Amino acid sequence: MSRLYLYGVTRGLRVPPRLEREGVSLIARGGAAAVVSELGDGPVEATRRNLLAHADVVETLHEEALVLPARFGTVLESRSAVEELLALPEIAELLERHAGSSELTLKGTYDEAVLGELAAGLGPLRDAYRRAPGLDTGVALGEAVLEELAERRAADTARVLDALAPLVLDVRASEPSGQLDAFRLALLVARSGVEAASAALDALASELSPPLRFELVGPLPPYSFADLAVPAVA
Amino acid sequence: MAVMQRESSAGYITRAPRSSGLADVLEILLDRGLVLDAYVRVSLVGIELLTVDLRVVVASVDTYLRFAEAVNRLDLRAVDDSRSVPELFEKGTEDAAESKTKGAVEGGMDAIKEKVGLGGRGRGRGDDDEK
Repeated sequence: MSRLYLYGVTRGLRVPPRLEREGVSLIARGGAAAVVSELGDGPVEATRRNLLAHADVVETLHEEALVLPARFGTVLESRSAVEELLALPEIAELLERHAGSSELTLKGTYDEAVLGELAAGLGPLRDAYRRAPGLDTGVALGEAVLEELAERRAADTARVLDALAPLVLDVRASEPSGQLDAFRLALLVARSGVEAASAALDALASELSPPLRFELVGPLPPYSFADLAVPAVA
Repeated sequence: MAVMQRESSAGYITRAPRSSGLADVLEILLDRGLVLDAYVRVSLVGIELLTVDLRVVVASVDTYLRFAEAVNRLDLRAVDDSRSVPELFEKGTEDAAESKTKGAVEGGMDAIKEKVGLGGRGRGRGDDDEK
C-alpha cells in the first residue's frame, strides 16, 4: 500500500492543473479534504527542493481557500489513515476556526547604523576601546551595546504589537534568528483585514525607519496557528 | 539606488505575497503546522540539524568583540566627516553592505543552505542507505 505525503487539510477546494500534473491530489471525506501526494519508500529528505515544494503546494492552494498546513515531513501510512484523520473533530474545529483567516509574517531587522545610536551614551567605553582595542575593552563595550540593543528591541517590538493589536486576531512571536533582528512575528488576520494591517505597517515604518527595516510576507496559510497536536486515537 | 530607497519610507518595507527561497521557507514554515501524533511517521533526514543551526543566536565573547568593532568603525566613519556629503553617502552604503557584522549575521544562513543541499544529494544519502 502506498504511503502518502500530507501537505495539509482543506475543504471546498480543487487542485489546479499544474499541481495535479505534479502528482498532488485530494482525498475527501465529509466536509474535509487532505492534500496529498504518493510517496515511495524511504524517509523524506529535508532538501531545498522538498521544502520549497511543500511551501508551493500549500501556498498556491491557500490563495483559493484555507489550507491548514501540515508540518513539513508528515507522512501517512495509507489512504484509510488519511480518512481517519479527516474524521477527527479537531480537524473540523480548526477548519472552522481558521476559515477566512491567513497568516502574515513580519520580520524587523535593524540596519547596522543602529549601533551608532545605541552607543551614543557609551562614550567612555568607546574611548577606552579605541585607545586600546583588546579583549577587556572589547567585551565591555560589546556587552553594553548588546544590552542597549535588547532594550531597543523590546521597545520597538512593543510599539509594533500595540499598533497592530486591533487589526489582528492572534500573534505568535519567535526568537529572532540574527544578531540585528528586532522581531519575528506571525500575525493571524482575517483575509479581509490584510490591507488594513499592511497600511498600518506603512505608518509604523515611517515612524521607526530608519534604522528598522520591515519584511512582510503573506497572506500565507496559517502555518503558526495550526499547531493543534491531534491526539492519539489508535 | 540604495540611497533612494533609504529616503523613501516605503523602501523600508519589503512585501512578498509568498515565501520565496529557502531562507524564507526555513523561517516561516519549518517546525510549524499540524502535528498528527498517532497517524503519521514523520520521517525526515536533516531537519534536526537545520533547526539547531537556526536557533543559534547566543551572545559570546566573539559577539561582543564583533559589536565593539562595528561601533568603533561607525565612530571612525563619523570622525571622517569632512568629506563632501554625496561621497559620504556612497561610502556609507558600501560599507554597510559589506560590513563584517552583517557578513557574520548572514553567514549562518549560508551555512544552512549548504547543508540542505548536502542533505539531498550528498552525505545524507549515504546515511539512508545503511538502513
